[in-house]
Amino acid sequence: MALIVLDCVSKAYSGQTALHDFSLTVEPGQRVAILGPSGCGKTTVLRLLAGFIAPDAGTISIDGQVVAKNGKILQQPEQRHIGMVFQDLALWPHLTVAGNLEFGLKAQGISKSERIQRINGILQLVEMDTYLRTRPAQLSGGQQQRVALARALVLRPKALLMDEPLSNLDEELNQHLRGELLRLHAQLGFTLLYVTHDRAEAVEIGTCVVRMRQGSIERIVSTEELKSR
Amino acid sequence: MRKFKIPIVAVLVAAMIVLPGCSSKRAGVVVYASEDQVFSEPILRDFERDTGIPVKPVFDTEEAKSTGVMNRLLAEKNNPQADVYWANEPIRAEVLKQENVAAAYQSPGAEGIPAHFKDPQGYWTGFSARARVLLVNNSVAEKPKSITAYSDPAFSGKTVIANPLFGTTTTEIAALFILWGDEKAKTFLSDMKRNHVKISTSNGESADFVASGESALSLVDSDDGANRIKQGKPVEIIYPDQGDNESGCFIVPNAVVLIKDGPHPEAAKRLIDYLLSAETERKLAASDAAQIPLHEGVETPAIVRKIENIKTMQADYAAVARKMREIEPLLKQWAGL
Amino acid sequence: MNTRRVTLCAALLVLLILGVAPIALMFARSLSVNGAFSLESYQHLLATGRSWQLLSNSLGLAMITAVICTLVGLPLGLLFAKTDLPLRRVFVLLFTLPLVIPPYIMAVSWSDTLAPHGLASSFFGPATTQKLSGLLFGSPGCVLVLASTFMPAVMLATMTFTRTINPRLEEAARLSARALRVLGGITIPLIWPGVLLAATLVFLLALGEFGVPTFLRYQVFAVESFTQFTASYNFGAATAAAVPLALLTFLLLGIEWFALREKIQPLRPASESDSNYHVSLRSYRVPLFALVSILCAIVVLTPVLSLLLQGGSTQSYLRAFRVVSDSLMRSIFLAAIGATALTALGFFTGYLIHTRGLSIWRAVDAGTVLLFALPGTVIGMGLITLWNRPATNFIYATPLIIVFGYLAQYTALTGRVTVAGLTLVPASMEEAAATVGANWMRRLGLIVLPLVKHALVAGWLIAYIFCLRDTGIAMLVYPPGYDTLPVRIFTLMANGAPSLIAAACMLMIAATVLPLLGVAALVRTQRRRRLWR
Repeated sequence: MALIVLDCVSKAYSGQTALHDFSLTVEPGQRVAILGPSGCGKTTVLRLLAGFIAPDAGTISIDGQVVAKNGKILQQPEQRHIGMVFQDLALWPHLTVAGNLEFGLKAQGISKSERIQRINGILQLVEMDTYLRTRPAQLSGGQQQRVALARALVLRPKALLMDEPLSNLDEELNQHLRGELLRLHAQLGFTLLYVTHDRAEAVEIGTCVVRMRQGSIERIVSTEELKSR
Repeated sequence: MRKFKIPIVAVLVAAMIVLPGCSSKRAGVVVYASEDQVFSEPILRDFERDTGIPVKPVFDTEEAKSTGVMNRLLAEKNNPQADVYWANEPIRAEVLKQENVAAAYQSPGAEGIPAHFKDPQGYWTGFSARARVLLVNNSVAEKPKSITAYSDPAFSGKTVIANPLFGTTTTEIAALFILWGDEKAKTFLSDMKRNHVKISTSNGESADFVASGESALSLVDSDDGANRIKQGKPVEIIYPDQGDNESGCFIVPNAVVLIKDGPHPEAAKRLIDYLLSAETERKLAASDAAQIPLHEGVETPAIVRKIENIKTMQADYAAVARKMREIEPLLKQWAGL
Repeated sequence: MNTRRVTLCAALLVLLILGVAPIALMFARSLSVNGAFSLESYQHLLATGRSWQLLSNSLGLAMITAVICTLVGLPLGLLFAKTDLPLRRVFVLLFTLPLVIPPYIMAVSWSDTLAPHGLASSFFGPATTQKLSGLLFGSPGCVLVLASTFMPAVMLATMTFTRTINPRLEEAARLSARALRVLGGITIPLIWPGVLLAATLVFLLALGEFGVPTFLRYQVFAVESFTQFTASYNFGAATAAAVPLALLTFLLLGIEWFALREKIQPLRPASESDSNYHVSLRSYRVPLFALVSILCAIVVLTPVLSLLLQGGSTQSYLRAFRVVSDSLMRSIFLAAIGATALTALGFFTGYLIHTRGLSIWRAVDAGTVLLFALPGTVIGMGLITLWNRPATNFIYATPLIIVFGYLAQYTALTGRVTVAGLTLVPASMEEAAATVGANWMRRLGLIVLPLVKHALVAGWLIAYIFCLRDTGIAMLVYPPGYDTLPVRIFTLMANGAPSLIAAACMLMIAATVLPLLGVAALVRTQRRRRLWR
């Protein structure tokens, strides 16, 4: 069964179309890169999936459940078990690294012992386990990236959404973190929707690439096909 | 031209602010008044109308709490802005004399005003007075006749007096210290305390306590009493200590002072003469101020007793002014402050 | 010649002459008795139990007021900024009304409300009303009046900071937590330093408040400063009485600098496509609406309605207008001039502080805040001492002295608003203009000023409100025959007809509120025009 289904979804802001008749199916464990120029609606797709906005028309289903339909949000963001890494990372500045990760776990009612276990585990995976008591402002760009990723993954989400997370980093760090992301995916097997405007990034990260233009899907291509060209 | 728009506007605005003040130096008379604006302003407007001399007033704020006008007079001593000071009691006038802010002027309007209501050298002249009276609730069967009722056990817990640190209450207590001597006055204060006197915030509040029956009696100013009677409250005014061998009722006249080196001395003298006239006293007696004319024979409404019908305490206001400063610490302690 | 430096120094000089010099003179006088150096005024201050009692009263009143304002203002601000509570905008307007009304007018109004034949008597009966009236005159009444007056400051600060925090921070939390937890765990901690700043402002305002404790007969230091003359006409003692207030202000400034400044999240301009989410109240909507309505009715509508009714009929209002119209016009004129001058001076001092344009920027910041915290009566006395000379009669004997007083007392307000506005303008804006050859004046006038114009308008409005309602300074220095409306109301309180006083208070409220509504309408019209383009 598909994990994520967007069926004929449309969305407009102040009369301007952001998405028009958008349909996409994502299988569990799949890595989908959404590629397109600025303003084509990529971020809107993620925000619809996260539950921050409602589609004007169409249906969104996650794990077989309809979560939004025709202007109504039927399931709130905190109930969807979706993780997200924002473009500006949105790490909470008043909380430490451990605090950033613990916030969601506490909200979900996870026990203290399990919280500690999960936090230590994921921070080890992203190689940030020595920074538990550090505040985000004291971390480098790459370190903040890893913490943002850990915060999303510690909740063991059904799917991870990433909104151009590496766009502000230099080429070397960008490459390195792409590799890290793929390694984590191999280890944890999460479903990934990765938004980018960089073709090379899309081809490396995704197993399939959804090309978007002006709120619609131009075409969907597998990355093998893209690499072979 | 466009680039000069802002400077031109700025100059015009500055002129609009500065010019009104400049004109005040040229004509008119500047009076600082501690008498309530609602009573003093109509008199000043009448003066303007009758003489054609513009009046620029500065009024005082609520009586019990401030002497803003006195502050200004003292602060402006080296460059006086005022010509005349209209005090609502003579102690402030005395202070101005002692601080060398007042100038001597023997007004023709002062003729007919008893000597002890004037400074002998003419530094201030009293007019339109209030009397310190006992306001008694009608429920009291045997009406007191003296201020010593405060120490009468029959009135234990039933008396009230305004905060002795402000206004006419302070003045009267200082007068008693001079009249009776320190020992007797201190004893009287102690007796009042022992008799559980309540301390209110003002004469007006004292009058309200008596009017509501919460207290049986209080020393208040005669205008406070007159106003409660006009409002139909069940109270009576008693002029205390009127007997042959008794001290008489303490009188608190308004006082007018010519300010030394004021900008308009001639206009100032005309205003002083006007304020000291019998006609002004008649108007103040007829108004809600209900003040007692110090000229004899002035027409007054029934509720305002004529001065010739009151036995008045022969107080030396200069001595009272000095005594007030002396007893201030004692009064603070007595009032629990 | 460095134009920037010269201009900032000129602004500093204006501040020194208008604000610091009068206070320095007063302070010098407080250290002298009969021409010789003496600490007698301070010794007397510290020796008497009364001084400590007054200080305790002042601190207690200010602290309780600030705490209540925070406890009420923060939840209200969150309700109005982040939920779907019905009639939010109306509530914001209503709750803000007391902030624009001079506090002592609210005190007068409460006194009328709880008078034997006042509004409260109709609902609660004479006996209960009398008990409540007894509570009004004293610290409970002062807390009620000051808290209802200043609470909007915390409420508006909450709303402002809430709207301008990065919405991603809340969205990231929403992925795992419900609305209340997001508010408690993320939103409130992020806006807390800003809210605390507003609470500090409330503390300072309550500490230096003069009119309300005077009217409600509660002895505090600000009143003591004014009443020192009653027995002894002692300028030195009056100034000495203001020194504890100054020290407390320095202490607060220290806390603000070291504990709060760095933690305040930089304000982010709110954009339309990027708005913060709203929480749906669902089943809590009705009870919360009822609660807020009741609070509004008690704290805002009751006193205002009471004043309106006490003012009497239309004829009564017309009569009152005839009596006080000259003072009213003068007040509006002076407040407008004062606000304009304050906006100009505040812009330069704010620029100096924000850009650290001079090495003594911290002293400038501290100085303006200190002047704001001092009782207006102390500043007034300083103005008399400095300017009452024959050579400066063209200042002292004219309304210009009142404007000088405004500049001395309120520059902190416009300065701080300017700083907040400049925080939103990236330094690169000015730098970019410099790289294309624009000199400093040109950069300031054509780049910086247009970018902070909204802050300047806000600063003008705030300055207008404070100048219009000023009593302490005006009472001491107004030129003869040039009383302002607040002073006129204060003088009328002595034996003036209650209906006249109430009507004059309502006219004062109208004079304060109408320009604000006018500006709001203008802003809305301009926004609509921009959208149509």
